Amino acid sequence: MNRKGLVSLIAVFLGLIAGAVFMLLTGHNPFIGFMFLFQGGTLTLERLGNTLATSTPLILTGLSVAFAFRTGLFNIGTPGQMLFGGFCATVVGLSSDLPSAVLVPLMVITGFLGGALFAAVPGILKAVFNVHEVVSSIMMNWIGYWIVYYTVKAYFTGNMETESRLLPNSATLRSPWLSNLFGGSYINLGLLVAILAVLIIAFILNQTTFGYELKSVGYNRHAAEYGGISVNKNIIFSMMIAGGLAGLAGVVQYAGNANNIQIGVMPTQGFDGIAVSLLGANTPIGSLLAALFFGLLYSGRGFMNAMTEIPPEIADTIIATIIYFAATSVLVERLLDKILKSRQATKKPLIDSAVQNTDNNNTNYGFMPPTEEEKENVPKGDE
Amino acid sequence: MKKKYFAMLLAGIMTTSLFAGCAQKKQTADSRFNPIKTDLKVGMVTDAGTIDDKSFNQGTWEGIVGSGANSKYLKPTGTTEADYLKEIANLYDAGYRFIVTPGFKFETAIFQAQDKHADAKFVLIDGNPHSGDYNPVVKENTVAIFFAEHESGFLAGLAASLQLKEGDFGFIGGMEIPAVQKFNWGFQQGVNYANANLGTKISLKEENIVYQGSFDNVAAGQQLAAQMYDRGVKAIFTAAGGVGVGAITEAKERAAGGQEVWIIGVDVDQYSEGLDEATGKSIILTSAMKYIDQAAYDMIKAETEGNFPGGQTLMFDAKNNGIGIPAENPNLSAETVATTNEIFGKIKSGEIVVASENDGTLVK
Repeated sequence: MNRKGLVSLIAVFLGLIAGAVFMLLTGHNPFIGFMFLFQGGTLTLERLGNTLATSTPLILTGLSVAFAFRTGLFNIGTPGQMLFGGFCATVVGLSSDLPSAVLVPLMVITGFLGGALFAAVPGILKAVFNVHEVVSSIMMNWIGYWIVYYTVKAYFTGNMETESRLLPNSATLRSPWLSNLFGGSYINLGLLVAILAVLIIAFILNQTTFGYELKSVGYNRHAAEYGGISVNKNIIFSMMIAGGLAGLAGVVQYAGNANNIQIGVMPTQGFDGIAVSLLGANTPIGSLLAALFFGLLYSGRGFMNAMTEIPPEIADTIIATIIYFAATSVLVERLLDKILKSRQATKKPLIDSAVQNTDNNNTNYGFMPPTEEEKENVPKGDE
Repeated sequence: MKKKYFAMLLAGIMTTSLFAGCAQKKQTADSRFNPIKTDLKVGMVTDAGTIDDKSFNQGTWEGIVGSGANSKYLKPTGTTEADYLKEIANLYDAGYRFIVTPGFKFETAIFQAQDKHADAKFVLIDGNPHSGDYNPVVKENTVAIFFAEHESGFLAGLAASLQLKEGDFGFIGGMEIPAVQKFNWGFQQGVNYANANLGTKISLKEENIVYQGSFDNVAAGQQLAAQMYDRGVKAIFTAAGGVGVGAITEAKERAAGGQEVWIIGVDVDQYSEGLDEATGKSIILTSAMKYIDQAAYDMIKAETEGNFPGGQTLMFDAKNNGIGIPAENPNLSAETVATTNEIFGKIKSGEIVVASENDGTLVK
């Protein structure tokens, strides 16, 4: 067990304790509550399949945020990228009648490209004009929301004005044998897409020069530049890949878990990706595990509701509390650090985490003039 | 020092008892309904939005609670078919075999659920179960319920015209879905009817008939209402959920400033929503109601009496008092109410037919 894993596990544990305290405060038995919460996500094969399906888009949005974090970027535009990626895939699915074996991979690729295109805008703005990506990517969410709203309504609605026509089964990631394997659950091939993406991203980050460059930019933009790495190129690529991953989340959500795209709904999985990524210590495998945990909470919640007297609003608060504490792994990390430091006389280096990194870096927000401290920190050599 | 700990302990106990208070709050039966003695477990899955949405979810839930049955509602995490099916399965596994779902978004989910849980009963409000091809398939364990929103909108438009006699009216819709469109078309017909037969001079300009595009954008509702009032509109009919709430806020602010503005509420009697505590006056002129609560209650009652109308598609309209304006309308004169009731009778008898479609003479 490495240290990051330990930190995340402690964070989950703290989250569960906080949830338990909340249940106690509202007059419910936490043991019974948690029993039904976990049973709800795992009791039968169908429930297990549903948990995995719920996790699938979260794996990808978590991966998207984690990937951007590693390059020192905060991709908060995941909802918009997910929506737009899913929308592009839906358009392809609805307007062509290629055989399934060609169409589905084509949709996956289109979804990736759609998300990438959407994230390229904040990426370029950041690289060229130093506009902070938090601002520019969050604004893109609404652009995506209304583009999808207008286009679906104008060209792709069926009988209902609020959603697109249904995708034919040959244009979805659904697979009867996988569903039957899990007792009729809505689990689909999206899970394989997500797992594959995790493996590829892990490989890129850990085994390739490109990944090394991306991480260098994340650790210290100026040092990377001094070392001959093109910072701007890496920022744009990083945002595009992160956006592409969010776009894939859209594909698995709208052409897997669902078989159409609804308008006027911003996907919640987008922002959940931030929490998934933080809990997963911004690593690909961590995001996968964290997303599974979130999926379990989301699928089990309804069963806990149905079997106990806990009202849905309180159940939502319990889940939110667990997530809140689980996502504050930085706190645990600092705490753990303090304990270790007081135990050992030798001084340990600060543990790296992208969130901390952005603190340590020159965080020029684009709209703010650099502080005195930042001005001093700017390396003089390359100016 | 001891004192400090004691104070902290006391504060702790007080906070805890506060929470305990919420938890123990029992469902109180609505006085509108007679509780039924039954051990039926009734479950509900909410549509997008909360249980206190002053509309769909709330209406359905009030009817269920009013029945006095052992009841529970679940709130899905999303609005996809899979999310809905998951919550239906949760209710089923927990022993709830009578499940009510409000909203057309449940159509495909109920289509699957009625086969998957064949020993459970389903009530689908505002929709017909189908496989995605819009061919209704209502199985023996399911009832589909629709409302004549156009008749409800007609009555509200008529009553508002009679009361205000002349001026501009407006309409703010949520999404352009059948239920909302029918409210709009009915409203326009009601206004036209009053102009043609009862000597009112109300105008409905095209720019004052707007679909906002969502049911939850409160700020946009307020803006739209502000624009309309600035253009001289006197009363706005809102069929838009949270968007309507924004419009109500705008109207209240203007009314407090001395301007004469009105809102015509939707789905439930929204009078109390528009109430200004200081003056005791509400800006809700009247409301175009559909008795969702009654529909939910009736279905539970029918089930306990052993005559659940399974396999049927029911229409709640003027004929069976499924729609109407509130019984109490403090902002309408007795004369207006009397004339409206008279015309309500004519709709019931079929003398006046309100079209549920836009035949091209109506705006949008």
